[in-house]
Amino acid sequence: MTTDVAVAGAVSSPVPSNPGGKLAIEGFAAEQLYLAFRLSDEVFAIDILRIREIIEYSVPTSVPMMPPSVRGVINLRGSVVPVIDLAIRFGREATGVGKRTCIVIVEVQHEGATHVLGLMVDGVNAVMEIDAANVEPAPSFGTRVNTEFIEGMARVNGKFIIILDVGRALSIEEMAAIKAVDAQNS
Amino acid sequence: MADSSIDLSQALGAFMEEARELLDQMEAILLRAEEAACDEEDLNALFRCAHTIKGSGGLFGLDEVVRFTHVVENVLDRLRKGSLQFDSALITLLLECQDHISNLIVAVAEHSEMPVARSDALIVELQGVLGQAPGGPAPGGPVATTPAPAQETAAEPERDEDGSAVMAADHWHLSLRFGEGVLQDGMDPLAFINYLNQYGKIAHIETITDQLPDFDGADPEICYLGFEVSLISSASKAEIEGVFEFVQDNSQILILPPQSRIAEFLNQIEALHGDVSRIGEILVACGSVTAKELEQALAEQRRAETPARIGEILVEQGAVPPTVVEAAVKKQIHAEERRNVESKSVKVPAERLDALIDRVGELVIAGVGTHAQIGRLDKPDLLESADLLLSLVEDIRDMALRLRMVAIGEVFSRFPRVVRDVSKELGKQIELRIHGAEAELDKSMVEKIGDPLMHLVRNSMDHGIESAEVRRARGKPEVGTVELNAYHESGSINIEVKDDGGGLDRERIFKKAVEQGLISPEAILSDQDVYRLILAPGFSTAEKITNLSGRGVGMDVVRSNIEALRGTLDIESVPGQSTTMRLCLPLTLAIIDGFHVGVGSSHFIIPLDMVVECIELPPDIGDSAYFEQRGEPLPFIRLRDVFGEEGPAHPRPRIIVVRFGSRRAGLVVDRIYGKCQTVIKPLGPLFAEVPAVSGSTIIGNGDVGMILDIPALIRHCSDIERSYLRLARPVAA
Repeated sequence: MTTDVAVAGAVSSPVPSNPGGKLAIEGFAAEQLYLAFRLSDEVFAIDILRIREIIEYSVPTSVPMMPPSVRGVINLRGSVVPVIDLAIRFGREATGVGKRTCIVIVEVQHEGATHVLGLMVDGVNAVMEIDAANVEPAPSFGTRVNTEFIEGMARVNGKFIIILDVGRALSIEEMAAIKAVDAQNS
Repeated sequence: MADSSIDLSQALGAFMEEARELLDQMEAILLRAEEAACDEEDLNALFRCAHTIKGSGGLFGLDEVVRFTHVVENVLDRLRKGSLQFDSALITLLLECQDHISNLIVAVAEHSEMPVARSDALIVELQGVLGQAPGGPAPGGPVATTPAPAQETAAEPERDEDGSAVMAADHWHLSLRFGEGVLQDGMDPLAFINYLNQYGKIAHIETITDQLPDFDGADPEICYLGFEVSLISSASKAEIEGVFEFVQDNSQILILPPQSRIAEFLNQIEALHGDVSRIGEILVACGSVTAKELEQALAEQRRAETPARIGEILVEQGAVPPTVVEAAVKKQIHAEERRNVESKSVKVPAERLDALIDRVGELVIAGVGTHAQIGRLDKPDLLESADLLLSLVEDIRDMALRLRMVAIGEVFSRFPRVVRDVSKELGKQIELRIHGAEAELDKSMVEKIGDPLMHLVRNSMDHGIESAEVRRARGKPEVGTVELNAYHESGSINIEVKDDGGGLDRERIFKKAVEQGLISPEAILSDQDVYRLILAPGFSTAEKITNLSGRGVGMDVVRSNIEALRGTLDIESVPGQSTTMRLCLPLTLAIIDGFHVGVGSSHFIIPLDMVVECIELPPDIGDSAYFEQRGEPLPFIRLRDVFGEEGPAHPRPRIIVVRFGSRRAGLVVDRIYGKCQTVIKPLGPLFAEVPAVSGSTIIGNGDVGMILDIPALIRHCSDIERSYLRLARPVAA
């Protein structure tokens, strides 16, 4: 299981921390690139500039006394990267491991430094352009996702995709605090 | 020149660093001067420090630094010449000046306002010192050197104020050919020329444009210009040379004293620039020679057959006394030696070093993994070469880590000054002794132990050492001693702060702790435990609060700082005789020797220095959480339960007995893999509050293992147990 990580890591070459998309963005401010992925049957999207790479799933090493939403840590070419189960974070059933399960490596800002987190997802769909004009604010309920985590709802091919606000959905302060409460309850 | 701002700021950075080093040197010498008379070498060094700061400050246009340092330099010059003697007051004043220069430089760095008022106050004091001194501004002092003739010895660069009578009539001739890269190095040739005004008046400047290429071919970053300058000055040659100290390596700087012979001019200039007749014209233009003299000299030179070396010509012509040449040669040799010393160490940015160490750490991990795989292949040849490779890689790792090691003296060096100042402030006589300053530890540790150590030393001086009367009454020498002692012990470094003061008062600490509700009055504590109470937050026994300590903040901060470095703080005290605070710190934060165990499917690393022994869990133990070992109860923790592990269990679990401080505990694990070198990978802020895990590492097969924080783990478990018991109590009652 462990060699998988190394192989996956070696194949997907690391994207430099400042992907080329950042330059392109000046050209067309209206359309942005997003990575769409699946959690059970629902499609979510994250701003592509937040994504560092996508790797094959390998079983994370669990960290004791962490809440279930933190599945553990993996060895990503020598760095230890936490893996978050977004489904549990959204208050749903834990993500099962299937053929297309993978880990999306994203960058998160915390106290002025960039940290790297892995998101366990049921599969990656595509990189898509979404026109800002097609993005609606989130409804106050009905998405079964905390509205704070939602940046907007994008209409793509007649269906809605939830665009996540990575800063909030993966807030390190908040996730660390959840753990403190859980540890007391256990 | 417009683009030189970046380069200039770099050069300014270099200046700051240099100034800091020089100021440190000044401080060291001044402190030495206080203990014993310092020798001529020291006095000269002291002067040179101030002189260099002034000189380079001038280059950057730091007028306030120059103005202030100039006065300091005057005093130091007087000291050097013996017309002033050190006394305690003067040393204090000079130390204050040294601080002030340092503040001025900090102000430059931070672009904050210069504390000019403070400069003025100090200058007045310094002038007071200068005024009293024999041989001060009044001419004809006992040691004032007689005005030298046209030539001054290079080894004696400064002249008295009253030497101005010399050569006022004539002028110096400076032939300047700056190196092409001078602008790129962040130097502005104009600044040097302007700075000459500090020493005298520039009579004439001729700009040499021979080297200037076509406009198209010219690189604006390259300096093509040369300058011929005539300077009316009473400064010595060394002083004028000093102006160009920063560029002399790459530039041709020729300084001809007034009344030099024309032939000498020409010889030197020819030696440097080749074309005599062209240069001659320039000299005429500068008024350094007359046209007639030039003609004669050229004719004379044509007659000369064998070109002699400049030095020889000069001596032959009696222009320069031999001593000057000797001194100049010596100076050259000295400069060379200095350069040699410098070349023995290389300055490397810390992050580059860290990146290297990081990579080497990964190399070791990969090497161990490969080795393990080869070990399974049953190919002895391959295994042998893998063995060799791994041992080489481990050597490289050790060497890479050693790159970060610095002597702890770097931290200790600031204490003489602190002890001096604080003992003056407290009115106590305290001597500082330093042992083991050469003991090495990781650079990152050195940066972090400074403050805790400072606190301990101040504490020792304030609370530890008694006043002189008390010491006399107790039959101790009046002068108290604080010792700083560093030594290596089994893979860690111990640093002791020891004072020969009154020791800790067990009774008083106990009483205070009871008053402050830290312990119950019935508690039975060992001496060690009582002493450790002073590390509790908010604890203070001092009856009066001084500037330095007694506010009850501090020792707990010291303790938490040290614990953050994975170190321990032990306190020993002999009542009435001494107190010793012993810090025990790991040499590095990057790697630990670990003991690798498995629980379920997870891997854990226990710091090896905490592991005492491994035993099998007695089978008849049942559910209890302690068992008897050699007559003592040994509590143990089932890691499987605490961590909620569900992986495959082992039929016969083992117990790892760990010890920290005076406590022992057992950890029940499933598998034991053995000792390993562990490169610590921080876990990041997400896991900052996980009790029991201090970091992670990547073990040989590429899996991530958790490094256990044993004290925190045991604290966590006993907290949980205590909260259960608290819940249970009402039922029992």
